Amino acid sequence: MTTLSGVSIEITGLRKSFNGTPVLAGVDLRVDAGEIMVIVGGSGEGKSVLLRHIAGLETPDGGSIRLDDVELRDYLRLPPGGKPFRLSMVFQGSALLNSLTVAENISLRLKEHHTHSATEIERIVATCLGHVDMAGTERKLPSELSGGMRKRVAIARALAVEPQIILYDEPTADLDPLLTEQIGALITRIQTTRRATQIVVAHNLALASEIGTHIAVLHEGRIVDYQLANALAHSSHPHTQALLRAANLKF
Amino acid sequence: MPPDSDTIERPPPPVLQRTGMLGTVGATILNVLQIMGEAAFVFFATLQRTRLRSRTWTRIMAQMVRVGTDTLPLAFLVSLFVGMVLVVQVAAQLEQYTQTILGSIVGLAITKELGPVIMGFLIAGRAGSAIAAEIGSMNVNDEINALKTMDIDPIAFLSVPRFIAMTLALPMLVLYADVIGVAGGALVVAFDPAVKISVQQYLDNLTQWINREDIIVGLIKGFVFGMIVSTIACTFGLRTKGGSEGVAVSTTAAVVWSFVLIIVFDYFIVRLAILV
Repeated sequence: MTTLSGVSIEITGLRKSFNGTPVLAGVDLRVDAGEIMVIVGGSGEGKSVLLRHIAGLETPDGGSIRLDDVELRDYLRLPPGGKPFRLSMVFQGSALLNSLTVAENISLRLKEHHTHSATEIERIVATCLGHVDMAGTERKLPSELSGGMRKRVAIARALAVEPQIILYDEPTADLDPLLTEQIGALITRIQTTRRATQIVVAHNLALASEIGTHIAVLHEGRIVDYQLANALAHSSHPHTQALLRAANLKF
Repeated sequence: MPPDSDTIERPPPPVLQRTGMLGTVGATILNVLQIMGEAAFVFFATLQRTRLRSRTWTRIMAQMVRVGTDTLPLAFLVSLFVGMVLVVQVAAQLEQYTQTILGSIVGLAITKELGPVIMGFLIAGRAGSAIAAEIGSMNVNDEINALKTMDIDPIAFLSVPRFIAMTLALPMLVLYADVIGVAGGALVVAFDPAVKISVQQYLDNLTQWINREDIIVGLIKGFVFGMIVSTIACTFGLRTKGGSEGVAVSTTAAVVWSFVLIIVFDYFIVRLAILV
């Protein structure tokens, strides 16, 4: 695995409505190359919608997203081989293809784009699985794995293409505290070893403070608070305080 | 992920004021037009992306097994009994006249009409529903979005192999149904005392009246029905929204639409064949 540097992301005035209901009402956010940005907020605040915009899965009503110096729209139009950097996403439900084995899931993109030889692909799959502590599961089907294992395979699939940007949609949703800690440690390890820019959408404020470089709070379609992760607890923003109070009630 | 690789980019549904019956009819017409537009998009996008590489062939063969080979036992049973029922019915009608023309009537009915239509229905109900459910589940589980983030075109990856497999498998199944249906008829001719002709007479009359063009028309129907069923199944799979309930709705709709379109296109193919 080569060490790569991340890509900066600049979001300006991003707007999106569904059936006339605004979900993103002008999001402004900058994510520096190689950092872990955690986006927190209540349910239905549009965190996942924001992430899907960055992944190019949604078309915004207005505003722009720039990846380094490239407009996202232009980046998406480039052929796979011509893209200056790669972007991966880890979905909330893992989104592994159930008809494919773990190895086939991880190698899918490499095989489809004919970028590597069979031997190289085999090596990459083994390395990625080793990276997420899932070595030896190559031949298993996703249905044979637990929720935490599926999540780790999804992360291995994201890592297989050596992405410069990795997006995580609620990576610890439905996982117990121990698995949550493992996934958090894995994301931190990826930052150390790969230097990829990572954006994590999370509900879990404890995890956010632990893994994040910065934390952005999304509320009513806007980023209302932006803090260094270790300064989140001292934020004076009323909505952040409300989130912290709610989290304290839980932990 | 070029923008045109999106499965189906739909604008938000218009907020319709359903004022009584007229409003409901209008909304239904709009919905039907939208589905037809999406199906046309999937059809042409699939044709445009059809590239027969070795990996595509692997997927096509897997789908061929699913659509064709796995359907053979059921197709055998259905075709056999269609042929048998047809002989019993026609023989009863011809009893007062002459049963010597039984072979031609049964043969023409099976090769030109019943074989293709029944195989079309069978594939729509069996493989079409499975495809709609499979792609629909992939859609609601974000698997299709995962493909897009991997720069894999969902139409090329999912629709193309299913389209080719079904378009190739259905004519073969039609031919199979023709043979089994005729054989089913021959069984009744041989053993039913109500039928007064011999198997030889039945087959002689059948081969005398059925020509190559009749079989080709049946095969063309199978070819077209294969395209219809696969396109409709993929369209409804790709437009699935809203969890398991959405998958159920899409699956049912895919089967119903396939049935209706098979009958509609059947008429036009027959009309065209008669003109030609």
